[in-house]
Amino acid sequence: MENPNNPCRILMLVTGVLTAIGLLLLFSASKSIASVSGSLPVYVKQLIWIIIGILMFLWLKDFDYRHWNKLAHLLYFVILIFLLIVLAIGTGRAGRWIKIGWFNFQPSEFAKFILVIVLARYFSIRDIERFSTILGGVIITGIPFLLILLQPNLGTALLFIIIFFSMAYLAGAKKKHLLILIIIGVLMSPLLWMGLKDYQKQRLIIFLNPWKDPLGKGYNILQSKITIGSGGIIGKGFLKGTQTKLAFLPEFHTDFIFCLLAEEFGLFGVFVLLFLYYVFLSQIHRITLTTQDPFGRLAGTGIMVMFLTQIFVNIGMACGILPVAGIPLPFLSYGGSALIVCFICLATVYNLGKNTALF
Amino acid sequence: MEQRLKTFVQVVKILLGILVIQCINLQVFHFSYYRRLSEQNCIRTIDLGIPRGKIFDRNGRILAEDKTCFHLVYVPYDLKEPETVASVLSSILGLDRRELLKELEKKSTNPFERRILKRDLTQSEIAAISEYAFKLPGVFVQAGLDRQYTLGTGACHLLGYTGEVSQEELDLLKDEGIKPGHYIGKYGIEKQYDQLLRGKSGGYQIEVDARGHQRRILREISMVPGNNIILTIDQTIQEACINALGNREGAIIAMDPRNGEVLALVSNPSFEPLNVAKYLVSPYNRNNPFLNRAIAGQYAPGSIFKIITEIAALETGEIGEHDRIECTGSMEVGDRIFHCWKEEGHGWIDINQALPFSCNIFFGTVGMKLGVDKILEYAKLFDFGKPTGIDLPGERSGNLPSSEEAGGAINIAIGQGAISVTPVQLCTMISAVANGGNLWKPFVVKKIVAPDGKIIKEFQPSLKKTIFISDETLTILKRGLRNVVKFGTGAGANIPGIEIAGKTGTAQIAQKELGLPTRGAFACYAPADSPSIAMVVVLDEASSGQAARIAGSIIKRVFTSEETVSETTISETEQTQTLPSGSQGFE
Repeated sequence: MENPNNPCRILMLVTGVLTAIGLLLLFSASKSIASVSGSLPVYVKQLIWIIIGILMFLWLKDFDYRHWNKLAHLLYFVILIFLLIVLAIGTGRAGRWIKIGWFNFQPSEFAKFILVIVLARYFSIRDIERFSTILGGVIITGIPFLLILLQPNLGTALLFIIIFFSMAYLAGAKKKHLLILIIIGVLMSPLLWMGLKDYQKQRLIIFLNPWKDPLGKGYNILQSKITIGSGGIIGKGFLKGTQTKLAFLPEFHTDFIFCLLAEEFGLFGVFVLLFLYYVFLSQIHRITLTTQDPFGRLAGTGIMVMFLTQIFVNIGMACGILPVAGIPLPFLSYGGSALIVCFICLATVYNLGKNTALF
Repeated sequence: MEQRLKTFVQVVKILLGILVIQCINLQVFHFSYYRRLSEQNCIRTIDLGIPRGKIFDRNGRILAEDKTCFHLVYVPYDLKEPETVASVLSSILGLDRRELLKELEKKSTNPFERRILKRDLTQSEIAAISEYAFKLPGVFVQAGLDRQYTLGTGACHLLGYTGEVSQEELDLLKDEGIKPGHYIGKYGIEKQYDQLLRGKSGGYQIEVDARGHQRRILREISMVPGNNIILTIDQTIQEACINALGNREGAIIAMDPRNGEVLALVSNPSFEPLNVAKYLVSPYNRNNPFLNRAIAGQYAPGSIFKIITEIAALETGEIGEHDRIECTGSMEVGDRIFHCWKEEGHGWIDINQALPFSCNIFFGTVGMKLGVDKILEYAKLFDFGKPTGIDLPGERSGNLPSSEEAGGAINIAIGQGAISVTPVQLCTMISAVANGGNLWKPFVVKKIVAPDGKIIKEFQPSLKKTIFISDETLTILKRGLRNVVKFGTGAGANIPGIEIAGKTGTAQIAQKELGLPTRGAFACYAPADSPSIAMVVVLDEASSGQAARIAGSIIKRVFTSEETVSETTISETEQTQTLPSGSQGFE
């Protein structure tokens, strides 16, 4: 712990800076003409979530990560129930939330973390080189995947597939097996398509081709590119962004928060953010490599993959190289469920790092 | 595994590198382009609204359709001086200046999206606006759609109306592509089949100059037309009903007794489907114009209910065809005196005379013999107290009381007391009498047809149940009903050449106790020997004789103007909705 190069310390430091940047951006967002008056400004609400997240972290950082191994089954079962409840009574823009008082509980966010834990446990106790093991992993991933796909939340559902393949690959699965799976998946996709309801199909079509809805999603893509591009190298300055202030983007405090940064702080800000994320991810990687426990290693890997994918998909979407998906930017996007899950992941990795240091 | 994990950090570098390259691309190489677009704030979206399918009558005549029209729209962001704009517009359009200003200064989530200020401008309004266009920056005339109803107020309860989606509805319909400002069905068929009638909205994404005027179209999406609906309604009969009812308050419903197809449905007072707001305030909101009396008006059936009493009496054998009862004009039951409507009484009569003359003493006495429970049992057979299931929103079930609440056998036997029914329930009942016991589910939508002519859904008649009524009973009852019109209380419906059979009913007692006006009703079918139409007329503040006269005049119109129009194929008349490109009236 005394070593300033300790990955856990760097990780905490970077997280602190990231959440601070997020707050700053949300403060700027709250100055927008479209921000709803009456309720608390988003940055205040986010601050509350950050405090809850930090408390969560402090509570869980000494929680031996190997306990997650034992809890895996129970958590998996519980989250499936919640996903079913969401399907039955879900509210919100995409039917993804359960309203608990003033908290919009979003089970799919928690499902990401739980999937990582369950797969880490599964792959660490089975022989990964056998095809049956891979198939078992498919079923474990497939159930929550389908439930989330039906919400319909294609973005998060695809994230599950990426987590599955990455973890299987990094756990040492045979490339041949994974290739067979991909082929089967492609062949099966029409069947899945037929099982969807009309409005779900409609959503997915717009997801894949936003210009089918140029007044809605297609409009967002053009606007988000204008917002980023108009920031230039040094940006328009803090609180001086015009695009986001004029509410060209309806969801700029959640999914499009990157645009806010790019507009006000320019390419400079983008560099800083991506550098921070790089440091963040590489520290998780370092911790993962130092541990010898297969479960810990896989859990760390899964968390890294999860963060990397979210960062890449969210920013890629904002710059117009990926379709619009409702994937939050870790530690920056407004949203309680996502933020708390990020802190839980952080605590798990932290504990992993501390435990290996003891060995 | 070790190797794979070690090299994974390269993946991180590559992916983050891609993002950096794209950001450099946007922020360095395309900087000036995006900066220009951003500084001018020059992207606008134009939503042309959701097209809706047509509604046809059974013979292919249009009852409701979209028409292209011009709306006055404004872009909140381009509206630099709302005060000036409000005063200019108020003087041109004659609208209240303060109301206009309030609308113009309303906060919006997207200030770059056009919002409709006034729908369906007249030619002279368009001319005036174009004349003052230089004083109205941010205000435009835009092509759009508005609904048009052939029969105007005459079919308002049937077809309903459309209106701007409310916040609550928006939460439910977001997934279906509904956005603020869109119009959806709010009442009647428009509401019941809203999802099927609705097409998909179209619009443009345009680049504008500093004055907010269109420079070029960036993206365009064409509208998708909605499905068409073919009703069971016959426009000729509907119009006959509208004319016959005139300004009287009440309801008329006509049905084919052979299958439950509703041929006409009228309710008064009515409202203008294109000017609904007017009917929400006094004096137009008097007597609830939005109540569809034909399916939601609950009335005491009065003497029409004697049909049920007669069926019960004959079927149970409580009384024979020639059993006589003396009517002296009144009778004593316990400590109450019970009156017949004819003060001097009907004398010694049997059931063959009692029904045509609607003798209360006869049916009251029969009712006492039967007992409350037996009468209610037969009423239940005809599904009184239950909604008929007609495919229109807002149907009420009426009230079939329990034997304790019924108010005694005499009351219930003559259709008074706690019992209440809707006109549509009476219509299914009289239809069942006409066709020998088949209780059909009434329906108004026959077919739903896609814009390309493909049939999406075809509704078949649905027989709810067959009530067993013996041939002897039916013969006596139908002869009695025919005699009602021939020489009885319903003589007003006696039309030469057409044999109408029916029964009058006046909701007296209950109405008077509640301080309500007398209601006259007539339920009938024609022709008496092979019925092809069943009809119920209910009038507020009128006698049952008047109701019979109205029914007679409608049926006369129907059978004399037998200009049977062959069913035209709808698909041929259909075309895709297109609107002028760019859609800016004056630029």
